[in-house]
Amino acid sequence: MLLLQIATAGIATGSVYALIAIGIVLIYKCSGVVNFGQGGYVMLGAYAAYALTRLGLSPQLAAAGAVLILAAVGALTELLVLRRMLKAPVVAVMMVTLGLLILFRAVCLAIFGPDQIAFPQIFPQGAVDIAGIFITYNYVAAAVLSLVLSLAFLAFYRYTPMGLMQRAAADNSRAALAVGIHVSNQVSVAWAVSSALAGLGGVLLATLNSLSLTLSSIGLVAFPVIVLGGLTSLMGSLVAGLLLGMLEAFTDGLLTPALESFLRAHTSVYSVGALQQVVPYMLVGAMLLVRPQGIFGQRGTERV
Amino acid sequence: MSRRRQIAAAAAVVLAVAGCFALGRYGAYLVHAVAISAIAALGLNLLTGFAGQISFAQGALVGIGAYTAGNLGNAGWGAGAVLAGGVAGGVASVVIGLPALRLRGLYYAIATLAAQFVLEYLFKIVEPLTRGISGMNVSPLVLLGRTVASDQAYAALSLALLAITWAGLQRLMHTNVGRSFLVVRENELVARGMGIDVVRVKLWAFLVSGFVTGVSGALVAFTTRLATPEAFSLQLSVDQVAMLIVGGQGVWAGSLLGATFVVLVPEAIQRAGEAFKAANLLSASREMAFGLLIILFLVFEPRGLAALLRRLGRALSRLVASRASRASPTPAALATSRYPATGGSREKAH
Repeated sequence: MLLLQIATAGIATGSVYALIAIGIVLIYKCSGVVNFGQGGYVMLGAYAAYALTRLGLSPQLAAAGAVLILAAVGALTELLVLRRMLKAPVVAVMMVTLGLLILFRAVCLAIFGPDQIAFPQIFPQGAVDIAGIFITYNYVAAAVLSLVLSLAFLAFYRYTPMGLMQRAAADNSRAALAVGIHVSNQVSVAWAVSSALAGLGGVLLATLNSLSLTLSSIGLVAFPVIVLGGLTSLMGSLVAGLLLGMLEAFTDGLLTPALESFLRAHTSVYSVGALQQVVPYMLVGAMLLVRPQGIFGQRGTERV
Repeated sequence: MSRRRQIAAAAAVVLAVAGCFALGRYGAYLVHAVAISAIAALGLNLLTGFAGQISFAQGALVGIGAYTAGNLGNAGWGAGAVLAGGVAGGVASVVIGLPALRLRGLYYAIATLAAQFVLEYLFKIVEPLTRGISGMNVSPLVLLGRTVASDQAYAALSLALLAITWAGLQRLMHTNVGRSFLVVRENELVARGMGIDVVRVKLWAFLVSGFVTGVSGALVAFTTRLATPEAFSLQLSVDQVAMLIVGGQGVWAGSLLGATFVVLVPEAIQRAGEAFKAANLLSASREMAFGLLIILFLVFEPRGLAALLRRLGRALSRLVASRASRASPTPAALATSRYPATGGSREKAH
């Protein structure tokens, strides 16, 4: 029973991770830029939704509005910042995305302050009772919404003309240019889509926990996800996201209590702290040593 | 560097170190804050700017140096504690770097990110060595039987160590190992083709850079007298990378310029804003300015302050030269106007 309860929580957060990680992979595939600032967009999405409800919109409309706003922010970032840095060294591009993260954090801090904010109720209160385990609608909605959206996005990427252009631009930008695809515009689209996904992820995470600046560090949690899934595989991020969500939930729910009771019995160590936050990174360290391209990634696609 | 300039640089360093004792407490604090950050930034510059390995674990390495030196300092080691901090940093850096023997670029960056988080976690958990989140008190450094207590003394010490590190690293780049760093940075395949042992070279880069960073960490422990996990968080790593990029990679002066910028600009904004007494807005505007400056820098001057200063110096000397040539167009004036820029920018850097 407890196991199932933990697993559902893991699936819910894991699918949101997947949503965020897909955005990072999308940008990386399309332009070779690793967006360390994805967490900033996650946080902006949540705060934008909050701000829109304060302006009098219904929570559902505000969430949709926030996603649109984030799409615009993403496209603007690409146009104003990244497009000017096409020839800059990789380190500089990494750092500029970190700069964006710092900037977004500071903007939210200035407007909304450092304290936690109660996030408006988007989904109905209460819980569903499935075979004896209770799952709140928040969790159900987060899991269903992110899974459906991830799959829808994968379908879009696979089956639509726009998706085809995206894939062409990602695969070989010169060849894409040669057949008449406006690659820079495709990169803008990728940024817009990626930020929109991140914004939605932010809204969902805020409904699961609450609204605070710490949402911005979620972008760094997404990195274990993409390394595990393979930097170039969208499907991989989905699977790895779910996997890591479960791992975190089980570490938090089972492993930590077990370890702590063992340590308290045998040593003077009292607590193992927030173990669930580091377990993904330990896994990534091991993964990078054994199979750097990830579960689903392909070798030889890194930017040298 | 010519003999004459070496002597001039040494004299400037001695003067600066001596000058530290004439500073007030706040001035001395600023000097050692900048100098200590600059030492770590030199270490990062060696690794990233010269050997081409991006690292986000710098904060944790500073922490390892600080905890090692703090523990040994409390146990009565003197200058040995600082050295031991460096050694611990070097060893940790090599361990973190091991994946880099297989990984390149971005993957290595993510591996260092993972190392940063794991180490940060260990700082909180391994309480016998770190005293956990409440932090470890560090007794002041004992040097040659004397306790170093004043900010002025620490400023002098940090400046001297900065100069020694700088000179040492500059010397290192004139050895075979140093030169092979550059080849590995440019292209590992070419390096291998030239008969360079890439693994060995990378391990050297990790070791030296980690040592320097560890020494900086030891100084952090002795100046702040307290080592807490959040002092060595990802924030510090990001700050360090910011110093590197704002200053300029692959230029030693860039590390000092970057450290000065990253330490002093927030300090200046803090001072300027203290009058308004808006705590949230203050720290927010500090961060905002920091983020914005980094973005603007990277968009408009991806090669950093060092390159900017050099260009400025060149423009200035061109202006001077053109004025001089208008007055008397001697060949000597033309000859000096050709390469004066490096001299100008380096003098500014000291």
